[in-house]
Amino acid sequence: MATTTQTTSAHHGDHGHAAHGPELQHHFETPAQQKEAATLGMWAFLVTEVMLFGGIFLAYAVYRWAFPDVWAEAAHHLNTPLGTVNTVVLLVSSLTVALAVNAAEHGRRTRLLQLLGVTLVLGVAFLGIKAFEYSEKFAHCAGYKTPIAWATGGELLGEQECLVPGRAFAFPAEHGAATEEHASTNKTPHQLFYLLYFIATGLHAVHMLIGLTIVSILTFLAWRGFFTPTYFTPVEIGGLYWHLIDVVWVFLFPLFYLVH
Amino acid sequence: MATTALPGRGYLEDDTPTVWSWVKAWLLTVDHKRIAILYLLSINFFFLLGGLAATVVRIELVTPQGDLLSSDLYNRAFTLHGIIMVFFFLIPVIPAVLGNFLVPLMIGARDLAFPRLNLLSWYLYMAGGIFALSAAVFGGVDTGWTFYTPFSSTYANSNVILTIAGAFIMGFSSIATGLNFIVTIHTMRAPGMTWFRLPLFIWASYATSLIIVLATPVVGITLLLLAIERLWGVGIFDPALGGDPVLFQHLFWFYSHPAVYIMILPGFGVISELIATFSRRRIFGYEFIAFSSMAIALLGFLVWGHHMFVSSQSVYAGLVFSFITMLVAIPSAIKVFNWTATLYKGSISYRTPMLYALGFIGLFVIGGLTGIFLGVVAIDIHVTDTYFVVAHFHYVMVGGTIMAYLGGLHFWWPKMTGRMYNEVWGGISALVIFVGFNMTFFPQFVLGYLGMPRRYHVYPQEFQVLHVLSSSGATVLAIGFIVPIIYLMFSLWKGKPAGNNPWEATGLEWQVSSPPPTHNFTRIPVVTSEAYAFPPEAAERDAASWRPGSPL
Amino acid sequence: MATSKHDTPGDAHGHQEPAHYDGHAHGHISVATYYRVFGALMLLMFLTVGAWWLEGVVAIPRLLGVIVALTIASTKTLLIVLFFMHIKVSSRMSQLYAAASLVGLLMLFIVIMGDYFARGWPPQLGPLP
Ligand code: HEM
Ligand SMILES: [Cu+2]
Repeated sequence: MATTTQTTSAHHGDHGHAAHGPELQHHFETPAQQKEAATLGMWAFLVTEVMLFGGIFLAYAVYRWAFPDVWAEAAHHLNTPLGTVNTVVLLVSSLTVALAVNAAEHGRRTRLLQLLGVTLVLGVAFLGIKAFEYSEKFAHCAGYKTPIAWATGGELLGEQECLVPGRAFAFPAEHGAATEEHASTNKTPHQLFYLLYFIATGLHAVHMLIGLTIVSILTFLAWRGFFTPTYFTPVEIGGLYWHLIDVVWVFLFPLFYLVH
Repeated sequence: MATTALPGRGYLEDDTPTVWSWVKAWLLTVDHKRIAILYLLSINFFFLLGGLAATVVRIELVTPQGDLLSSDLYNRAFTLHGIIMVFFFLIPVIPAVLGNFLVPLMIGARDLAFPRLNLLSWYLYMAGGIFALSAAVFGGVDTGWTFYTPFSSTYANSNVILTIAGAFIMGFSSIATGLNFIVTIHTMRAPGMTWFRLPLFIWASYATSLIIVLATPVVGITLLLLAIERLWGVGIFDPALGGDPVLFQHLFWFYSHPAVYIMILPGFGVISELIATFSRRRIFGYEFIAFSSMAIALLGFLVWGHHMFVSSQSVYAGLVFSFITMLVAIPSAIKVFNWTATLYKGSISYRTPMLYALGFIGLFVIGGLTGIFLGVVAIDIHVTDTYFVVAHFHYVMVGGTIMAYLGGLHFWWPKMTGRMYNEVWGGISALVIFVGFNMTFFPQFVLGYLGMPRRYHVYPQEFQVLHVLSSSGATVLAIGFIVPIIYLMFSLWKGKPAGNNPWEATGLEWQVSSPPPTHNFTRIPVVTSEAYAFPPEAAERDAASWRPGSPL
Repeated sequence: MATSKHDTPGDAHGHQEPAHYDGHAHGHISVATYYRVFGALMLLMFLTVGAWWLEGVVAIPRLLGVIVALTIASTKTLLIVLFFMHIKVSSRMSQLYAAASLVGLLMLFIVIMGDYFARGWPPQLGPLP
């Protein structure tokens, strides 16, 4: 194979290689090299993501070690059923992404589109449920029982409870405990739990948003027929990113929702 | 299919009809060499800014009283100096300028693996810089570059958030660079360019990138947590909630000690190139130098606690950290020994880059050895937060990284611009920098040992002599930094054309024209020999071309 | 003609990529495997929720509960990484980088938690002798 080298062109799009598809960028020699570069690059990037979340997990470990009882009390106020549903949603979405990569590899465009579409729906569902959980906490701070009650001015929350960290934070006293402890429960490690909860799941949700953006772009490209059995690297590395988000949740779920 | 190699045009040339398209051709370039130039300009700009802040600090310290600055302003001045120099100069400088330019050229590739990511990294760098500078404009920060909680959270009264936003964004910029280097070095080496034929600068860049990728995200999340604490009023480092401020120090130094290796390792790489070229010898113990870079990268992750000996960290942790700190000095020493062994019986020519390299070795030895002093818990407790520490890290950062950067810049300047700089002025300013540097920072060892704490704007009368000495040294040093700017700029239009290989160095970057064509290689080269294969007659040719007064 | 190099420092006889493009040079994971992995993931998820529920009913040492939960989470991660993320059939370098994140986490955790352990944590425990 001879190489045509255009040393004058600074653009990626317009080069005169005829021996391979247009997706090969000028500075790579072979498509396999380009693909390996993309995959390795994604993995190196995922390392940075792992270390990013690692910092939060470390803080979690430090404080859970210090305050195991607080953790158990605090975690009981999270919505475990919804957390479980969300775990299922994310695991299914991981499956659909894995299948989507497979479909792209076999050039099955309709199936690829369907699977990416399902992934989008699942991702949005996850964020919707997460948003509901958050708004529940905020509604309690506002004194209402549910987010809907909050919006419509409905049923009030009986006891004082605010699990959103901040000045208004008030962890409800355990049943049977003296009620005048309310005020003094403001500055307690319970706040640490909820801080970590909001930060960790919030950062995770941000990653979900990025993941959804990526999947949307992939869907658009697939719809335009951009991918072929010889070139579907974007689907593959986009999938890697999605799976990583899933992995993070796999840890967040037991660490926040399943604590005794 | 025939090979149609169009004649390569230098990457600096444009055929842009309008000014606007010229601006676009530069600001939207994906050519690693042009991005290196963008970095060169912006990083040096930040260096000058940081230097300005240092000037203010040194002027204040001429007298024992605080007559120029209030204590508050003084805090802001040295913080600005530290933040600019660490995050916006020392960490990116060699990878982003020399590395960007050289990594693809040295391994025989047409570009980095992800050219657009590379451009993004420059934009992130600029964005981070603007954030950090805007913090200074809005009144500055007074936490020191280390942002310790609760200085920076509960008790902060300055623009902490803007500043850490700057550092945070800058972190992504270095991640982008590191990622690019890793992938490029793995997947884009020319045929025959095996791992043990790589120039040592590539090994060093690889090790640096590994540190960047593993450590930078941790400081990212740490700064994010700090920002949340500052914004929200409650945070996870807040002792009122049961949080532990020392956890911040752990997380911060988990990055920031490896970060000092991000600063120095590329410098090691540059020095290996310079020493080999100007001794005309195969570098002594190539494999040892290559692997010591990797060893430093890994061991460097396990020593951060030596910054925390007095932080309430456990004495046992202190012991272990102290021990591993000693260990990490071994690979550093291996490098120094191998360089000196390379010099032995080499055909040494004292060109400007070589002057910097030799200066580097001397200064790094002092800096490294005092680092070992500091790694001993007992000594460190005596000199913690004194000028001894300040002198130590300036010896490694200025005497190490900046000397290496300047040496590398002079060495590759002909390649980057196609022009030779003035060798006489080059030599003079290298010597001025060396002298000025030692005048500035050696007295600080003494000051610190005698008990002068760092970060104070007033001090007892007895320290004045040494402080004045230090400030006058800083003046000499500043001159030494300004002179190269002048003659390097001057060389752009008056310099001798360099030719492809003015130093008769080995290495693929010297086989292309100067400045290199846009896509580096019309044909991807095939490598058949090791990195520093100087022909035996190279030394003889050097000797024959020697004339009295010539800098050889 | 130029071929790209993928070999790692250690493997001199490394697998040379063929110059022409081969869609899946490193092997392949079948759809059936994906479904099986998914089944295992679901099973593990119900296990972890079940274990949590059980802990609420019978008294189990807290540490044991944490260990069970983390073991299950790690197993799930392993499955996802190996199969869904194709690490099982990826190039050696991608595998190394996947492992690198584990090494990075271990350095972070072991050293910092080691300090907390030795320093006495929570603080009222006091330091080790
Ligand atoms: C031979 C290897 C080295 C050893 C053993 C060493 C040891 C130390 C120790 C023990 C400290 C803590 C002093 C204290 O705060 O009480 C320290 C501080 C410092 N070192 Fe080094 N060091 C070495 C090389 C380097 C290098 C190569 C750099 C940078 C290029 C560097 C930059 C710094 C900085 C910036 C600080 C001070 C941080 C601060 O508190 O602001 N060191 N070093
Ligand atoms: Cu250190």
